Amino acid sequence: MPLSSNARLTIRSAIFLLVGLIFITPLLWMLSTSLKFENQVFERPFVFLHVHSVNWSNYSHILTETDFPVWLWNSVFVVVVSVAFRLLLAALGGYAFGYLKFRGSDAIFFCFLVTLFIPYQLTLLPQFISFRFIGLLDTHWALIIPNIVDVLSIFLMRQFFLSFPKELIHAAYMEGSGIFRSFARVAMPLARTPVLTLGLLSFFMIWDQYYQPLIFLHSKELYTIPMGLQSFQTQFGKQYAMQMALACLAIIPVLGVFLALQKQFIESIVSSGLKG
Amino acid sequence: METVLKGAESKRRRAYSLERLERRAGILFALPALVGFLLFILLPMVCVFLLSLYKVDLMTNTFEFKHFQYYDKMLHDPDFWKSVRNTLVYLVIYVPVTLALGLGMALVLNAKMKARGVIRTFFIIPYITTYVATLVVWNVFLHPTEGPVNTLLMSLGVEKPPQYMVDTHWALPILALIGSWKDVGYHCILFLAALQGVSKDYLEAAEIDGAGRFRRFRHITFPLISPTSFFLLLITMIGGLQAFYQMALLTKGGPAFSTTTMTYHIYRSAFEFYNFSYASAVGMFLFLMTLVLIGVNWFGQKKWVFYQ
Repeated sequence: MPLSSNARLTIRSAIFLLVGLIFITPLLWMLSTSLKFENQVFERPFVFLHVHSVNWSNYSHILTETDFPVWLWNSVFVVVVSVAFRLLLAALGGYAFGYLKFRGSDAIFFCFLVTLFIPYQLTLLPQFISFRFIGLLDTHWALIIPNIVDVLSIFLMRQFFLSFPKELIHAAYMEGSGIFRSFARVAMPLARTPVLTLGLLSFFMIWDQYYQPLIFLHSKELYTIPMGLQSFQTQFGKQYAMQMALACLAIIPVLGVFLALQKQFIESIVSSGLKG
Repeated sequence: METVLKGAESKRRRAYSLERLERRAGILFALPALVGFLLFILLPMVCVFLLSLYKVDLMTNTFEFKHFQYYDKMLHDPDFWKSVRNTLVYLVIYVPVTLALGLGMALVLNAKMKARGVIRTFFIIPYITTYVATLVVWNVFLHPTEGPVNTLLMSLGVEKPPQYMVDTHWALPILALIGSWKDVGYHCILFLAALQGVSKDYLEAAEIDGAGRFRRFRHITFPLISPTSFFLLLITMIGGLQAFYQMALLTKGGPAFSTTTMTYHIYRSAFEFYNFSYASAVGMFLFLMTLVLIGVNWFGQKKWVFYQ
């Protein structure tokens, strides 16, 4: 008996749902392990969740006994300050290169673009030495400053302002606004979407950074979440359940932002990717 | 008549001065970006090149000119060539796997499907989660004796399951595959967007003409999504050349140098041996490699990328 097309669709969907679950098995295992006691981590047979004896103590231990809250605060601070400065620079720069223009602006912008291909590991070498000279090593500013100038962000804002309707700005001039006022009152409110896009992408990118804190920071109390995770792993290498709980806690903020703004996030990637 | 002329002239003059004002303001608006670019991108690039020519002593802050000695040292250093080889092996696995997997996922999501949103979320989750956190998980997940994967394999009767990160043959491919697993969500999103832009009319017309599923993909879908594929190919290559996190967190370049890619070689030379000059030379070489790869692809795109 041939299956109805609806039944076939259901079966196919179920198969790919399963494929999707297999794809994130490590993360499911992480969740499961984080709620176990250490002696249950490698138990056989495997139980996903001990419903009657869920172990929340890993989480409470991490939240009260480790520096996790400090790392979280550090990450939030670094990300928020970096993104704020980056967006400001990108908005001003994008308006200059895309809308206002000046002599040689296109040529200068081309130079900007060429540097997109420089490996970040390379520019961080002289930055390390100069930060050492001016005493910025082992401060959060060493993490923030290299994030502020982002050519890709300026590029995306420029693309937006290239096709910005001139009539709107000219109308603002007619009503007596100066160039800065018309930028702030007319152009920026209409640039909400690209700014949000950039902010979202930058948030995920900077939250993830590990190389910069690895080379710039020594003090544990300055660690961001990725560094904290790494130091915890080297210090408590055998406490797997605890490590998984920490990994879960590290993922929750980004997962939360992602699930809340999933649609915008996907649109952000598409709009920035296809134009990039 | 006169007043009209005057009006036109003053209008022109106003337009002219407005343009000039805008240009001046443009420089002002661009100033933060320009200064930042000079200070944090261009100057470091010049410095890094100079750095590769000088011997730097960080204790005494002295610099000594050495010509191209560090490049010479690099080119005669077997460890350097191993790191180049490892980087290329990483690329050869990471790039095709990520692209193929991303396209496959996008094709799945583009087909008629129930619970598509949930499946899509599953596919994207590794991409958005904190990289270091997922690596902490992979570290235990692939533990050679206790990890769940090998426990499962052994209970299925596999006597010598792979040793993953502690085996010189497995380590690098495993790291590359973890990289693909992490990044493929991005490719999936972009491929999906491209597939949704492919007109159904073409596909239906080809189906009526008797073209099978594969031929429809080969001759209609693939050319239409080729600009996206090309963009992703470049992004993936650049990303692959700069891969670093897995080596730093899972293997520290080992076992026996088998996962020391160029980026890890740079890191170790600079921040473990404090040889910034040598690290800069390797970094310049990596930059050169990036440019060559992009150049080759740029000229190669004529053969397969189709712009509407």
